[in-house]
Amino acid sequence: MEQSEVMERVVKILTPWVKDEAALKNVSMETNILEDLKVNSARLVDVVIAFEDDFDIEIADEDVDQVNTVGDAVNLISGKL
Amino acid sequence: MASVTGGGQEPEEGPRSDHASSVTDRAGSTRALDRASSGVSGQAAGQGPGRESGRRAGREASRKAAPAAFDREMVRRHAVQRAVSMLAGPLWVTASVLVMRFHFRYRIANVSRLRRQYRQIRAQTDAPMLVCANHLTLVDSFIIAWALGSGFYWLRHPDELPWNTPESTNFGRTWLSRLLIFLAKCIPITRGGAREEVGGVLVRVKYLLGRGETALLFPEAGRSRSGRVEESAAAWGVGRIVGAVPGCRVLCVYMRGRRQETWGDYPAKGDTMDVEIACIEPKSDAKGVRRSRDLAQQIVRQLIRMEEDYFDARQ
Repeated sequence: MEQSEVMERVVKILTPWVKDEAALKNVSMETNILEDLKVNSARLVDVVIAFEDDFDIEIADEDVDQVNTVGDAVNLISGKL
Repeated sequence: MASVTGGGQEPEEGPRSDHASSVTDRAGSTRALDRASSGVSGQAAGQGPGRESGRRAGREASRKAAPAAFDREMVRRHAVQRAVSMLAGPLWVTASVLVMRFHFRYRIANVSRLRRQYRQIRAQTDAPMLVCANHLTLVDSFIIAWALGSGFYWLRHPDELPWNTPESTNFGRTWLSRLLIFLAKCIPITRGGAREEVGGVLVRVKYLLGRGETALLFPEAGRSRSGRVEESAAAWGVGRIVGAVPGCRVLCVYMRGRRQETWGDYPAKGDTMDVEIACIEPKSDAKGVRRSRDLAQQIVRQLIRMEEDYFDARQ
Protein backbone atom coordinates (compact mmCIF):
# COMPACT_ATOMS: atom_id res chain seq x y z
CA MET A 1 0.00 0.00 0.00
CA GLU A 2 1.29 3.44 -0.92
CA GLN A 3 2.25 5.71 1.97
CA SER A 4 -0.11 8.40 0.64
CA GLU A 5 -2.99 5.96 0.86
CA VAL A 6 -2.05 5.04 4.43
CA MET A 7 -1.83 8.75 5.27
CA GLU A 8 -5.28 9.38 3.80
CA ARG A 9 -6.84 6.55 5.82
CA VAL A 10 -5.02 7.63 9.00
CA VAL A 11 -6.39 11.16 8.68
CA LYS A 12 -9.88 9.80 8.03
CA ILE A 13 -9.66 7.64 11.17
CA LEU A 14 -8.34 10.54 13.25
CA THR A 15 -11.04 12.97 12.14
CA PRO A 16 -13.79 12.06 14.67
CA TRP A 17 -11.37 12.64 17.57
CA VAL A 18 -9.89 15.90 16.30
CA LYS A 19 -10.91 18.97 18.30
CA ASP A 20 -9.08 21.52 16.15
CA GLU A 21 -10.66 21.03 12.75
CA ALA A 22 -8.74 23.95 11.27
CA ALA A 23 -5.50 22.07 11.93
CA LEU A 24 -6.95 19.11 10.09
CA LYS A 25 -7.11 21.14 6.87
CA ASN A 26 -3.35 21.64 6.91
CA VAL A 27 -2.48 18.19 8.18
CA SER A 28 0.95 16.84 7.22
CA MET A 29 3.32 14.09 8.32
CA GLU A 30 4.72 16.54 10.91
CA THR A 31 1.36 17.37 12.47
CA ASN A 32 1.35 16.44 16.16
CA ILE A 33 -1.70 14.37 17.01
CA LEU A 34 -2.11 15.58 20.60
CA GLU A 35 -0.77 19.13 20.41
CA ASP A 36 -1.86 20.26 16.95
CA LEU A 37 -5.00 18.23 16.36
CA LYS A 38 -5.93 18.38 20.05
CA VAL A 39 -6.88 14.72 20.26
CA ASN A 40 -7.57 13.82 23.91
CA SER A 41 -4.62 11.75 25.14
CA ALA A 42 -6.93 9.35 26.97
CA ARG A 43 -8.66 8.64 23.67
CA LEU A 44 -5.46 7.88 21.80
CA VAL A 45 -6.08 4.24 22.62
CA ASP A 46 -9.38 4.35 20.72
CA VAL A 47 -7.60 5.86 17.73
CA VAL A 48 -4.98 3.13 17.80
CA ILE A 49 -7.62 0.42 18.04
CA ALA A 50 -9.35 1.99 15.05
CA PHE A 51 -6.01 1.77 13.20
CA GLU A 52 -5.82 -1.92 14.13
CA ASP A 53 -9.31 -2.61 12.85
CA ASP A 54 -9.02 -0.57 9.68
CA PHE A 55 -5.63 -1.92 8.60
CA ASP A 56 -6.07 -5.37 10.17
CA ILE A 57 -2.84 -5.12 12.13
CA GLU A 58 -1.88 -5.50 15.78
CA ILE A 59 -0.16 -2.67 17.61
CA ALA A 60 1.70 -3.22 20.86
CA ASP A 61 1.43 -0.83 23.79
CA GLU A 62 5.07 0.14 23.47
CA ASP A 63 4.63 1.05 19.80
CA VAL A 64 2.15 3.72 20.79
CA ASP A 65 4.85 5.51 22.81
CA GLN A 66 6.60 6.28 19.52
CA VAL A 67 3.52 7.88 17.97
CA ASN A 68 3.55 11.63 18.33
CA THR A 69 2.85 12.84 14.81
CA VAL A 70 0.64 11.73 11.94
CA GLY A 71 3.85 10.65 10.21
CA ASP A 72 4.78 8.44 13.17
CA ALA A 73 1.41 6.72 12.86
CA VAL A 74 1.77 6.31 9.10
CA ASN A 75 5.27 4.85 9.45
CA LEU A 76 4.18 2.50 12.25
CA ILE A 77 1.26 1.21 10.21
CA SER A 78 3.28 0.96 6.98
CA GLY A 79 5.85 -1.13 8.82
CA LYS A 80 3.19 -3.62 9.85
CA LEU A 81 1.46 -4.01 6.48
CA MET B 1 -11.76 -18.78 32.28
CA ALA B 2 -15.17 -18.03 30.89
CA SER B 3 -15.86 -15.10 28.68
CA VAL B 4 -17.89 -12.34 30.17
CA THR B 5 -19.58 -9.48 28.48
CA GLY B 6 -18.84 -6.27 30.29
CA GLY B 7 -21.84 -4.76 31.98
CA GLY B 8 -21.01 -1.13 31.37
CA GLN B 9 -21.35 1.14 28.40
CA GLU B 10 -19.29 -0.03 25.45
CA PRO B 11 -17.07 2.46 23.67
CA GLU B 12 -17.69 3.27 20.06
CA GLU B 13 -15.37 0.65 18.58
CA GLY B 14 -16.61 -1.97 20.99
CA PRO B 15 -13.74 -3.87 22.57
CA ARG B 16 -13.70 -7.63 22.36
CA SER B 17 -14.62 -8.01 25.98
CA ASP B 18 -13.11 -11.42 26.38
CA HIS B 19 -12.46 -10.73 29.99
CA ALA B 20 -13.33 -12.18 33.31
CA SER B 21 -12.31 -10.83 36.63
CA SER B 22 -12.64 -11.84 40.19
CA VAL B 23 -13.24 -9.57 43.09
CA THR B 24 -12.61 -9.98 46.76
CA ASP B 25 -15.22 -8.00 48.58
CA ARG B 26 -15.45 -6.63 52.10
CA ALA B 27 -16.02 -10.03 53.62
CA GLY B 28 -13.14 -11.51 51.70
CA SER B 29 -15.42 -13.70 49.62
CA THR B 30 -15.27 -14.01 45.86
CA ARG B 31 -17.91 -13.13 43.34
CA ALA B 32 -17.95 -12.66 39.63
CA LEU B 33 -17.16 -9.11 38.73
CA ASP B 34 -19.96 -8.90 36.26
CA ARG B 35 -23.17 -9.24 38.23
CA ALA B 36 -25.22 -10.35 35.29
CA SER B 37 -22.89 -13.06 34.12
CA SER B 38 -23.02 -16.67 35.08
CA GLY B 39 -20.64 -19.56 34.74
CA VAL B 40 -17.60 -17.41 35.37
CA SER B 41 -14.72 -19.26 36.89
CA GLY B 42 -13.01 -16.19 38.28
CA GLN B 43 -10.24 -17.08 40.65
CA ALA B 44 -10.17 -15.04 43.79
CA ALA B 45 -7.06 -13.15 44.55
CA GLY B 46 -5.45 -15.02 47.33
CA GLN B 47 -7.10 -18.29 46.57
CA GLY B 48 -5.35 -21.00 44.65
CA PRO B 49 -1.96 -19.48 43.98
CA GLY B 50 -1.31 -18.49 47.58
CA ARG B 51 1.48 -16.34 48.93
CA GLU B 52 4.36 -18.32 47.50
CA SER B 53 3.07 -18.29 43.95
CA GLY B 54 2.28 -14.62 44.43
CA ARG B 55 5.91 -14.02 45.29
CA ARG B 56 6.90 -16.06 42.26
CA ALA B 57 4.62 -13.95 40.07
CA GLY B 58 6.27 -10.78 41.32
CA ARG B 59 9.77 -12.12 40.84
CA GLU B 60 8.80 -13.41 37.42
CA ALA B 61 7.50 -9.97 36.45
CA SER B 62 10.81 -8.38 37.43
CA ARG B 63 12.90 -11.05 35.80
CA LYS B 64 11.00 -10.93 32.52
CA ALA B 65 11.20 -7.21 32.20
CA ALA B 66 14.52 -6.59 33.89
CA PRO B 67 17.30 -6.54 31.34
CA ALA B 68 15.71 -4.85 28.39
CA ALA B 69 12.87 -2.76 29.73
CA PHE B 70 14.48 -1.19 32.76
CA ASP B 71 17.46 0.94 32.03
CA ARG B 72 20.10 1.30 34.71
CA GLU B 73 19.60 5.01 35.22
CA MET B 74 15.91 4.53 36.00
CA VAL B 75 16.73 1.68 38.40
CA ARG B 76 19.38 3.80 40.14
CA ARG B 77 17.09 6.82 40.46
CA HIS B 78 14.35 4.62 41.84
CA ALA B 79 16.68 3.07 44.41
CA VAL B 80 17.82 6.51 45.60
CA GLN B 81 14.31 7.93 45.86
CA ARG B 82 13.03 4.80 47.60
CA ALA B 83 15.83 4.94 50.18
CA VAL B 84 15.37 8.65 50.85
CA SER B 85 11.60 8.43 51.05
CA MET B 86 11.81 5.47 53.43
CA LEU B 87 14.00 7.54 55.74
CA ALA B 88 11.72 10.56 55.42
CA GLY B 89 8.52 8.47 55.54
CA PRO B 90 7.89 8.57 59.28
CA LEU B 91 8.15 12.35 59.18
CA TRP B 92 5.94 13.12 56.22
CA VAL B 93 3.33 10.46 56.91
CA THR B 94 2.95 11.69 60.49
CA ALA B 95 2.92 15.33 59.40
CA SER B 96 0.32 14.81 56.69
CA VAL B 97 -1.99 12.86 59.00
CA LEU B 98 -1.67 15.54 61.68
CA VAL B 99 -2.49 18.26 59.14
CA MET B 100 -5.50 16.33 57.86
CA ARG B 101 -6.78 15.51 61.34
CA PHE B 102 -6.17 18.76 63.16
CA HIS B 103 -5.98 21.47 60.51
CA PHE B 104 -8.57 20.18 58.05
CA ARG B 105 -10.36 18.18 60.79
CA TYR B 106 -11.02 15.29 58.41
CA ARG B 107 -12.28 12.00 59.70
CA ILE B 108 -12.37 8.61 58.05
CA ALA B 109 -15.46 6.58 58.83
CA ASN B 110 -14.86 3.04 60.10
CA VAL B 111 -11.12 3.37 59.77
CA SER B 112 -10.39 0.35 61.98
CA ARG B 113 -12.61 -1.89 59.88
CA LEU B 114 -10.99 -0.59 56.69
CA ARG B 115 -7.47 -1.19 57.91
CA ARG B 116 -8.38 -4.68 59.08
CA GLN B 117 -9.90 -5.40 55.68
CA TYR B 118 -6.79 -4.08 53.93
CA ARG B 119 -4.51 -6.23 56.07
CA GLN B 120 -6.64 -9.29 55.28
CA ILE B 121 -6.34 -8.63 51.56
CA ARG B 122 -2.61 -8.13 51.89
CA ALA B 123 -2.21 -11.31 53.89
CA GLN B 124 -3.74 -13.42 51.13
CA THR B 125 -0.80 -13.18 48.76
CA ASP B 126 2.35 -11.25 47.99
CA ALA B 127 1.33 -10.85 44.34
CA PRO B 128 1.95 -7.37 42.95
CA MET B 129 -0.73 -4.89 43.91
CA LEU B 130 -1.76 -1.71 42.17
CA VAL B 131 -4.08 0.66 43.99
CA CYS B 132 -6.66 2.38 41.78
CA ALA B 133 -9.05 4.97 43.12
CA ASN B 134 -11.64 7.48 42.05
CA HIS B 135 -10.26 11.00 42.05
CA LEU B 136 -12.02 14.10 43.32
CA THR B 137 -9.44 16.15 45.24
CA LEU B 138 -5.73 16.91 45.38
CA VAL B 139 -5.29 15.12 48.71
CA ASP B 140 -6.85 11.81 47.72
CA SER B 141 -3.56 9.92 47.85
CA PHE B 142 -2.89 11.15 51.40
CA ILE B 143 -6.38 10.13 52.49
CA ILE B 144 -5.90 6.67 50.99
CA ALA B 145 -2.61 6.19 52.85
CA TRP B 146 -4.29 7.34 56.06
CA ALA B 147 -7.28 5.08 55.49
CA LEU B 148 -5.35 1.91 54.74
CA GLY B 149 -2.79 1.99 57.52
CA SER B 150 -1.55 3.76 60.58
CA GLY B 151 1.82 5.54 60.61
CA PHE B 152 3.19 2.60 62.56
CA TYR B 153 1.90 0.16 59.94
CA TRP B 154 3.63 2.06 57.12
CA LEU B 155 6.81 2.13 59.17
CA ARG B 156 6.70 -1.65 59.37
CA HIS B 157 5.65 -2.09 55.72
CA PRO B 158 7.27 0.81 53.87
CA ASP B 159 7.01 -0.85 50.45
CA GLU B 160 3.24 -1.11 50.82
CA LEU B 161 2.96 2.66 51.13
CA PRO B 162 1.97 3.48 47.54
CA TRP B 163 4.02 5.44 45.07
CA ASN B 164 2.00 8.22 43.48
CA THR B 165 2.00 9.77 40.03
CA PRO B 166 0.84 13.37 40.53
CA GLU B 167 0.29 15.72 37.63
CA SER B 168 3.57 17.62 37.37
CA THR B 169 1.85 20.91 36.57
CA ASN B 170 -0.01 20.72 39.89
CA PHE B 171 2.89 19.73 42.10
CA GLY B 172 6.19 20.39 40.39
CA ARG B 173 6.22 24.16 40.09
CA THR B 174 8.66 25.14 42.86
CA TRP B 175 11.82 23.50 44.18
CA LEU B 176 10.08 23.00 47.54
CA SER B 177 7.15 21.16 45.99
CA ARG B 178 9.55 19.12 43.86
CA LEU B 179 11.49 18.18 47.02
CA LEU B 180 8.30 17.25 48.85
CA ILE B 181 7.00 15.04 46.09
CA PHE B 182 10.42 13.39 45.85
CA LEU B 183 10.28 12.57 49.57
CA ALA B 184 6.64 11.50 49.37
CA LYS B 185 7.22 8.65 46.88
CA CYS B 186 5.94 10.56 43.89
CA ILE B 187 6.75 10.08 40.23
CA PRO B 188 5.41 13.19 38.49
CA ILE B 189 3.69 12.71 35.16
CA THR B 190 2.51 15.20 32.57
CA ARG B 191 -0.97 14.30 31.46
CA GLY B 192 -1.13 14.38 27.69
CA GLY B 193 2.63 14.90 27.63
CA ALA B 194 5.12 13.37 25.22
CA ARG B 195 4.29 9.71 24.73
CA GLU B 196 7.84 8.61 25.58
CA GLU B 197 7.79 10.50 28.87
CA VAL B 198 4.44 9.00 29.85
CA GLY B 199 5.67 5.58 28.72
CA GLY B 200 8.76 6.02 30.92
CA VAL B 201 6.60 6.58 34.00
CA LEU B 202 4.56 3.48 33.19
CA VAL B 203 7.75 1.43 32.84
CA ARG B 204 8.89 2.61 36.25
CA VAL B 205 5.54 1.69 37.82
CA LYS B 206 5.78 -1.77 36.24
CA TYR B 207 9.28 -2.08 37.63
CA LEU B 208 8.38 -1.15 41.19
CA LEU B 209 5.30 -3.40 41.19
CA GLY B 210 7.46 -6.29 40.07
CA ARG B 211 9.75 -5.60 43.01
CA GLY B 212 6.86 -5.98 45.44
CA GLU B 213 6.29 -2.27 45.96
CA THR B 214 2.89 -0.64 45.55
CA ALA B 215 1.67 2.19 43.36
CA LEU B 216 -1.46 4.28 43.34
CA LEU B 217 -2.96 5.37 40.04
CA PHE B 218 -6.15 7.18 39.25
CA PRO B 219 -7.56 5.38 36.22
CA GLU B 220 -9.56 8.42 35.18
CA ALA B 221 -6.18 10.18 34.80
CA GLY B 222 -7.42 13.44 36.34
CA ARG B 223 -9.95 14.58 38.88
CA SER B 224 -13.42 13.67 37.72
CA ARG B 225 -14.99 16.86 36.37
CA SER B 226 -18.49 15.46 36.68
CA GLY B 227 -17.94 14.42 40.29
CA ARG B 228 -18.71 10.82 39.33
CA VAL B 229 -16.51 8.01 38.03
CA GLU B 230 -16.54 8.26 34.25
CA GLU B 231 -15.94 5.19 32.14
CA SER B 232 -15.27 7.33 29.11
CA ALA B 233 -12.32 8.90 30.93
CA ALA B 234 -10.60 5.58 31.58
CA ALA B 235 -6.92 5.97 30.84
CA TRP B 236 -5.50 2.86 29.24
CA GLY B 237 -2.10 3.27 30.92
CA VAL B 238 -3.41 1.54 34.01
CA GLY B 239 -4.39 -1.42 31.83
CA ARG B 240 -0.93 -1.46 30.29
CA ILE B 241 0.60 -1.82 33.72
CA VAL B 242 -1.79 -4.52 34.91
CA GLY B 243 -1.33 -6.43 31.67
CA ALA B 244 2.45 -6.28 31.90
CA VAL B 245 2.79 -7.45 35.51
CA PRO B 246 1.87 -11.13 35.84
CA GLY B 247 -0.60 -11.85 38.62
CA CYS B 248 -1.14 -8.16 39.33
CA ARG B 249 -4.09 -7.49 41.60
CA VAL B 250 -5.86 -4.19 41.77
CA LEU B 251 -7.07 -2.73 45.02
CA CYS B 252 -9.99 -0.52 43.98
CA VAL B 253 -10.61 2.30 46.42
CA TYR B 254 -13.75 4.38 46.33
CA MET B 255 -13.73 7.39 48.63
CA ARG B 256 -15.87 10.43 49.02
CA GLY B 257 -16.37 13.11 51.62
CA ARG B 258 -19.95 13.27 52.87
CA ARG B 259 -20.05 16.93 51.87
CA GLN B 260 -18.21 16.34 48.59
CA GLU B 261 -20.68 17.22 45.84
CA THR B 262 -18.18 17.35 43.00
CA TRP B 263 -14.47 17.64 42.30
CA GLY B 264 -12.30 20.30 43.93
CA ASP B 265 -8.87 20.99 45.40
CA TYR B 266 -9.65 19.85 48.95
CA PRO B 267 -12.54 18.22 50.78
CA ALA B 268 -14.51 20.62 52.98
CA LYS B 269 -12.99 21.26 56.40
CA GLY B 270 -14.38 18.93 59.00
CA ASP B 271 -15.66 16.47 56.40
CA THR B 272 -15.98 12.74 57.09
CA MET B 273 -14.61 10.45 54.39
CA ASP B 274 -16.34 7.24 53.48
CA VAL B 275 -13.85 4.79 52.01
CA GLU B 276 -14.53 1.33 50.57
CA ILE B 277 -12.06 -1.13 49.09
CA ALA B 278 -12.35 -4.19 46.85
CA CYS B 279 -9.61 -6.32 45.38
CA ILE B 280 -9.91 -7.56 41.81
CA GLU B 281 -7.67 -9.37 39.38
CA PRO B 282 -8.56 -8.09 35.91
CA LYS B 283 -8.03 -10.50 33.05
CA SER B 284 -8.37 -10.24 29.31
CA ASP B 285 -7.84 -12.57 26.39
CA ALA B 286 -7.54 -9.66 23.99
CA LYS B 287 -4.16 -8.59 22.65
CA GLY B 288 -2.06 -5.45 22.33
CA VAL B 289 -3.62 -2.08 22.96
CA ARG B 290 -7.11 -3.55 23.03
CA ARG B 291 -6.12 -5.71 25.98
CA SER B 292 -4.84 -2.70 27.90
CA ARG B 293 -8.08 -0.84 27.30
CA ASP B 294 -10.09 -3.90 28.31
CA LEU B 295 -8.20 -4.22 31.61
CA ALA B 296 -8.51 -0.50 32.34
CA GLN B 297 -12.24 -0.61 31.69
CA GLN B 298 -12.68 -3.50 34.14
CA ILE B 299 -11.06 -1.40 36.85
CA VAL B 300 -13.15 1.67 36.11
CA ARG B 301 -16.33 -0.40 35.98
CA GLN B 302 -15.51 -1.80 39.41
CA LEU B 303 -15.15 1.77 40.72
CA ILE B 304 -18.46 2.67 39.09
CA ARG B 305 -20.14 -0.26 40.87
CA MET B 306 -18.64 0.86 44.18
CA GLU B 307 -19.92 4.37 43.54
CA GLU B 308 -23.40 3.05 42.80
CA ASP B 309 -23.31 1.04 46.04
CA TYR B 310 -22.17 4.16 47.89
CA PHE B 311 -25.04 6.29 46.67
CA ASP B 312 -27.55 3.47 47.11
CA ALA B 313 -26.46 3.18 50.74
CA ARG B 314 -26.81 6.92 51.26
CA GLN B 315 -30.41 6.98 50.11
